Amino acid sequence: MPSKIACSHCHLEFEPSVMIKDEENYFCCSGCQGVFHLLKDEGLESFYEKSKNITLSPPSQNFEDSSSFDTQSFYDKFVKINKDGFCEVSLIIEGIHCSACVWLNEKVLHKMDGVIEANINFTNNKATIVWADDVVKLSAIIDTIRSIGYNAFAYDSMAQETHANKERKAYYLKMAVAIFASMNIMWIAVAQYAGYFSGITQDVKTILNIAEGILATPVLFYSGWVFFRGGYYGLRTKVINMDLLVATGATLTYIYSIYITLIQKGEAYFDSVSMIITFVLIGKFLEILSKKNAADTLDKIANSIPSEVKVVKDEKIVTCKLDDVKVGDIVVVTSGEKVLLDGEIIKGSGSFDESNLTGESEPVYKSVGIGVISGTLSIDADIHFIATKDFKHSTLSNIVKLLESAINKKPKIQQMANRLSEHFSSAILGLALLTFLGWWFWPHSFETSLMVAVSVIIIACPCALALATPVATLVGLGLGASRGVLFKEAAGLEIMAKVDTLILDKTGTITVGKPEVIKEHVFESFDKKLLYSLVKSSNHPVAKGVLKYIKEEDENIIDVLFDEFSQIPAQGIKAKFGETQLLGGNKKLLDENGVEVDFFTQETLFYFVINQRVVAVYELQDKIKEGVKKLVKSMKKMKIEVIMLTGDNENAAKKVASQVSIDNLFYEQTPQSKAEFINKLHSKNRSVVMVGDGVNDILALASADIGIVMGSGSDIAVEVGDVVLLNNSIKSLEDAFKISSTTFGLIKQNLFISLIYNALTIPLAMAGYVIPLAAAISMSASSLLVVGNSMRIRHKWNKD
Amino acid sequence: MDNWVITMMLGVSIFLGAVALFAFLWAIKNGQFDDEEKFLNAAKFDGEDELNDALKQEQKKEALKKSYKPE
Repeated sequence: MPSKIACSHCHLEFEPSVMIKDEENYFCCSGCQGVFHLLKDEGLESFYEKSKNITLSPPSQNFEDSSSFDTQSFYDKFVKINKDGFCEVSLIIEGIHCSACVWLNEKVLHKMDGVIEANINFTNNKATIVWADDVVKLSAIIDTIRSIGYNAFAYDSMAQETHANKERKAYYLKMAVAIFASMNIMWIAVAQYAGYFSGITQDVKTILNIAEGILATPVLFYSGWVFFRGGYYGLRTKVINMDLLVATGATLTYIYSIYITLIQKGEAYFDSVSMIITFVLIGKFLEILSKKNAADTLDKIANSIPSEVKVVKDEKIVTCKLDDVKVGDIVVVTSGEKVLLDGEIIKGSGSFDESNLTGESEPVYKSVGIGVISGTLSIDADIHFIATKDFKHSTLSNIVKLLESAINKKPKIQQMANRLSEHFSSAILGLALLTFLGWWFWPHSFETSLMVAVSVIIIACPCALALATPVATLVGLGLGASRGVLFKEAAGLEIMAKVDTLILDKTGTITVGKPEVIKEHVFESFDKKLLYSLVKSSNHPVAKGVLKYIKEEDENIIDVLFDEFSQIPAQGIKAKFGETQLLGGNKKLLDENGVEVDFFTQETLFYFVINQRVVAVYELQDKIKEGVKKLVKSMKKMKIEVIMLTGDNENAAKKVASQVSIDNLFYEQTPQSKAEFINKLHSKNRSVVMVGDGVNDILALASADIGIVMGSGSDIAVEVGDVVLLNNSIKSLEDAFKISSTTFGLIKQNLFISLIYNALTIPLAMAGYVIPLAAAISMSASSLLVVGNSMRIRHKWNKD
Repeated sequence: MDNWVITMMLGVSIFLGAVALFAFLWAIKNGQFDDEEKFLNAAKFDGEDELNDALKQEQKKEALKKSYKPE
């Protein structure tokens, strides 16, 4: 047998006989050949050197018509005019594998007339393209991207996303300045401290002070600007927050130091100014960094909906924009396609996957006269249906709308440190003022009184307080990650430690979600290859369960080619192999084909028939995951109420609930009613963790205080959730609770440490026993204490 | 040691550091670190051709800016 040859473009390997030979190059399809020649003509062959042997996907030939990119409605929605008057659009490029792909796309686009800028982000495949609209049309740009084997679709780069990126960038700039200046001030401070102990002339001291002052100025007024702003907004809403304390503390120290520099007497504390700002700024940045980007989530959801449907017009099937379909239009859906509109079947029949709405993987059989719901998926049905609602009012777009509002209105529990800092800040500022007045009235100079007051503020500097939460949550995030629990947002850890209700979805969360073979009954021996090939060709979950079982028995099993093959909706599969008649399916299939059987059990059954004789029966069941019972028990211990919500019917729900001893269950829930249920709990001041896996849970996940998703869940659910359990196990759900309560304990400890520290040192400072120098050193010490305490917990957990 | 020596040394070293800092700030503002993957791979695509292309692109942009009249 000849060995396989790699296609010159996409590097997929095939046998030479099926490939297109073109001089010394081989291609798997004309698409690859086309791209190869195009790149060669354009002088871009170096792409192949750059991409090395990375396998690409062969270019697809059937795209939606690109002319829709030039319509006015598209422009209104996606195209922006930038400040130079050029058009700008945000696209997601599909098919980017490596940096060479990015290079190729940018290169080809730059070569086009009229394209001014094309910038593709390799990490998230998002591209920004700027072009002159009178020179080149957007459709031509899209066609070019498609011609080299990629695809592009537009996304609405919302203000939210750009805002989040801008904020992050601003923090980078501020931190760069703050760290640079602090590091330089530090080495100047070394000279200062050395001089303090071993003697230094006042001239040199002044020079060093001026240098420090110059470096500290941008830190306070540029990097520290966020604190002034935060403090100001706090004051306007009549709240004295931590920002205000940081800003006043730093500014007072700064002014005092300038005064000292000018009168050339005493010690300046520019180093404290820049250290306070730098430390607290880094803590703030850590919080921003771990914030989840809601904008990305909404983009992904919007993109998962195709923009076109097939409609019957004048006896012909034409494609039509989803938004243009009117009530009464006849829509065509073939097997494997998504139903995008609500309607009623007028022709054809077949089974539908309604798991998006119910969470159940068992297909539903539908025929003429029965309604179809948008968001469901046709498994094997080829139907025509009459639209009863337009897209704007359809179930699918309703869910998307509800989801958007749920994500934007997510409840926020105020973090403990923030609440604490309000009281703390006002207390410290008050104490400093009292100290100053006290010292001034009991005859001391203005200078001494101010110095003592400043030392109170410096020693109470909220560095430790500001670091307490971010450092602890970082440790918690790390612990989670090493155990397959992914917290997307740091604040999630603290919120989760405060919840009192746990809501579990049934299918996919408590149970595995797919029927699995629990028992095999073989009546006559048969060739396993036949059964393997039969079930392999079906998408039905029962067939998949049987397939998995056979594969586990024999990994190297190979399939045979059938002479005849057909799927019978809601019954099973029928095939012919030579003279052998094969049937595989449920009881109904056997009845239809006149096969008699007297084997029944409670579970779902899969019968396998060869030549009208039942040779084997498989019992399947949706198994309950390990550890659910233990989880319910430990939740009771933690005084968290466990509730089960499921879209399944009463019997199935009660059966599972009794097995895992959950008393509160609600069945036949729609996605909307699940979310309403959670909102009702919220109105009773309960905080809720929702655990789910499917599209039917996303509304509930978004509404809950914390949404936990199984890693195997649908992409959108994983996107919406706040916590992802990578290994889908109930054990890691328990871990998540444990980690969050440990972290919350740690936060409390850290806050306690920093408060105790202040309680001890503030009276000393007020009495004038602490000079600002010692205050500055002790400030760093308290921060180190907090960081050290957090590390201790990490070490302890890692030992377990 | 005269005071001006200390002053000069401080001044020069802070100035040099500040130059590097401003270069870094410029790079952040310019979006050079926006995409960490691309930033790391940039070293691979850094030849004469790339420089020429960048220049051509710049010229094209200028030319278009002059001729382009948004209504």
